[in-house]
Amino acid sequence: MGGIQELIAFYYFGIEINSSKIQTVTMEKIADYMYALDESAIVAITDQKGIITYVNDNFCKISKYNRKELIGQDHRLINSGYHPKSFIRNLWTSIANGKVWKGEIKNRAKDGAYYWVDTTIVPFLNKEGKPYQYVAIRFDITDRKKGEADLNRSLKEISDYKYALDVSAIVAITDQKGIIRHVNENFCKISKYSAQELIGKDHRIINSGYHSKAYIRELWTTIANGRVWKGELKNRAKDGTYYWVDTTIVPFLKADGKPYQYVAIRSDITERKKGEAHIKKINHQAIEHGRALESKNRQLVDFCNIVSHNLRGPLINISMLIDFTDNSESEEEKNEIQSKMKPVVNHLMEVFNELVESIQVKQDTGIAADKVCLEDCLERIKVGFETQIKKYQANIGADFSKAPLVIFPQKYLESIFANLISNALKYKSPKRNPEIYIESTPVSGATVISFADNGMGIDLDLHKQHLFKIRKTFHKHPDAKGFGLFMIKTQVEAMGGDIWVESQPDKGSTFFVKILNGEA
Amino acid sequence: MNNIKNLTLIDDDEVFVYLTRKTLNKTNLVDHIRVFENGLDALNFIKNNLGNQDNLPEVIFLDLSMPIMDGWQFLDEFSRLKLDLSKKITIYICSSSISPDDVARAKSISEVSDFIFKPITSQKLYDIVDSL
Repeated sequence: MGGIQELIAFYYFGIEINSSKIQTVTMEKIADYMYALDESAIVAITDQKGIITYVNDNFCKISKYNRKELIGQDHRLINSGYHPKSFIRNLWTSIANGKVWKGEIKNRAKDGAYYWVDTTIVPFLNKEGKPYQYVAIRFDITDRKKGEADLNRSLKEISDYKYALDVSAIVAITDQKGIIRHVNENFCKISKYSAQELIGKDHRIINSGYHSKAYIRELWTTIANGRVWKGELKNRAKDGTYYWVDTTIVPFLKADGKPYQYVAIRSDITERKKGEAHIKKINHQAIEHGRALESKNRQLVDFCNIVSHNLRGPLINISMLIDFTDNSESEEEKNEIQSKMKPVVNHLMEVFNELVESIQVKQDTGIAADKVCLEDCLERIKVGFETQIKKYQANIGADFSKAPLVIFPQKYLESIFANLISNALKYKSPKRNPEIYIESTPVSGATVISFADNGMGIDLDLHKQHLFKIRKTFHKHPDAKGFGLFMIKTQVEAMGGDIWVESQPDKGSTFFVKILNGEA
Repeated sequence: MNNIKNLTLIDDDEVFVYLTRKTLNKTNLVDHIRVFENGLDALNFIKNNLGNQDNLPEVIFLDLSMPIMDGWQFLDEFSRLKLDLSKKITIYICSSSISPDDVARAKSISEVSDFIFKPITSQKLYDIVDSL
C-alpha cells in the first residue's frame, strides 16, 4: 500500500492542516477512498516525461505486464497505435498545461490484445505551476466498447436496409388508428403531398374511393388482427390523379398482441395497371369486332337463304312455264299457261324490291337519327289506318309519359309503328274488337316501346325462330306477306336496337322494341 | 313399273303446284294427287285418316318454306305419328332452296328419302317411281 500512502501525500500536497485530530480523521477517510479507488480503478502515475513511476494491481492485470516490467518504462509501452496523433497531442497539451484530461483510450496489453479504458489524467503541479507528475485513473470499458461496436454494426445494417427500402419502395408508417406518422420521399413523390401535409393526417387522405367498402374492411380486419395484408390499391394524389400501388401492410404488435403501428410498403404499378386496362380494352374490342363479324356473317347466310328460297322459286316457275308454252300443242293451253306468267313476274319483282329495300337499311348505317316525339309519330300513323280503325271499331291507347322522346330515324320509327299497328289490326281476334295499347318505358341506356294487342296471338312454340324472317307468315290471311316484321327488325337492328315478342294464341301479342339512347 | 296410287304435294306456291300437276298428269305415273298448301293441313289429313290408311299417300313431295307450318316442322310432327302408320310413306323434300345447309339437314332426317331441287321434271318422276 506504499504507493497509496505516497499518493495521499501527493494529493494533499500544500494543504495546511492545523488540527492533528482532524488530520487523523481526514487521513483515515482518504485511506478509505484510496482503497476503494485501488479496488475499482486502474491507476498509474508517471513523471512529467511519461515514465511510469507507479502502477496498481489492476493496471498489471489488464495490461498483463508485471510491475517490474512497467516501472521506469515509457507510458507508450501500452500504446495501441489506434488513436490519431492529433488525439495524443491534444491529450499531452492539456495535461502539460495543468488541465485534467478525460477520454476513452484503446491500449494494447502485453499479449497483443487490446482493451478500452475510460481515462482521467490529473496533472500535479509544482510551485512554478508546472506538472511534475500525472496520475491516470482508468476504468475498463472494453465490454462496453464491444457492445457499442456491435450496436453500431446492427444500426448500420438497419440503416442500410432502411436506405435500400427508402430508395426502392414507397413507405409509410401509421399508428393503430391510421394516422400517418412517417412517410418517405417516394411516398411524397407519388402522392404529390409534402411530408408536413401528410404527417398527422388520416391515411384516407389518399383514398381514391375506387375500392368497395368490403375490400377496405377486409384490409383493416386483417391488419387489426395482426396479420400481414397484401394487395393492390388505387390511391389518389393531391392533384386528383390516380395511381396504383402493390401494397404490403405489416402490423407491429404490442406485448398484448394488439398492433401499435402499421408499416405500409408499396410499389408503383400504375403503368402495369394501365397496360392491363389497355389489354382488357383491346380484348373487349376484339370480342366486339368478332360479334359484329359474326352478325354480318349471319346476315350473309340469311341473305343467301332468302335469295335461294325466295328468288329461285319464282325463277323456276317462269322457266317451267316457258318450257310448257314451248311444248304445248293447244292454243287454249298456251293461253292458260301465259296467264300464269304475269303474277309470277309480279311476285318476283315484289320480293326483289323488298330485298333491295332491306339491303339499303343494312347499308345505310349512317342514316341520321332524329329526335322524334312518340305521341306525334302515333298520330301521324293513325291517320293512315282511320278507315280500318273505324271498320273494326278498334281502340288505340297510348302512354308515352315515362319516355316521350326517342332519338331514332323518323322514317324507321314510322315504319315500326305502321307495321305493328297494321299487324294488330290484320290479325285481330274474330271474337272481339281490337284493343291496342302502346307504352314507352326508359331502361338503362335505352327506351323500350311495347305494342300490346288482344288479337289472334302467335304460337311461339312453333314460330319463334321464323317470326322476323322474310316471307314467313303465321296466319291464313290474304294480305299476309311476311315482310313487315322482317323489315322492322332490320331497321331496329341497323340502329343497334332489339325487337322481341311475347304472345299467347287467342289472347294477343306484345311486341317490344328497344331503342338505344343515341344523339340526334 | 308400278304406278303411284296416291301422291301428296305439300306446297304453297300455286304456280308450282299447277305446273307439277301438269307434269304428273303427262307421265300418267300417278293415279291420284292431293295438294296441301301448308304442313299443318297435310298433318291434319294424315291424322284424320290413320283409321283408313288406303287414303294416305305412298309418296309426299314436301316444300320447305311455307306459312303456318313449314316443311321442317311437318317432318318433326310426322315422325311422332310413325308408330301409328302401317303404310310406308316415302317423303321427298322438294324445294327451290339450293342451300347446302338445307340439304345437309334434310339428309340427317331419317323420314326423308331424298332432296329434290325444283323443278320436278318428268325424268325425275320416272327415276323416283323406279326407285320405289
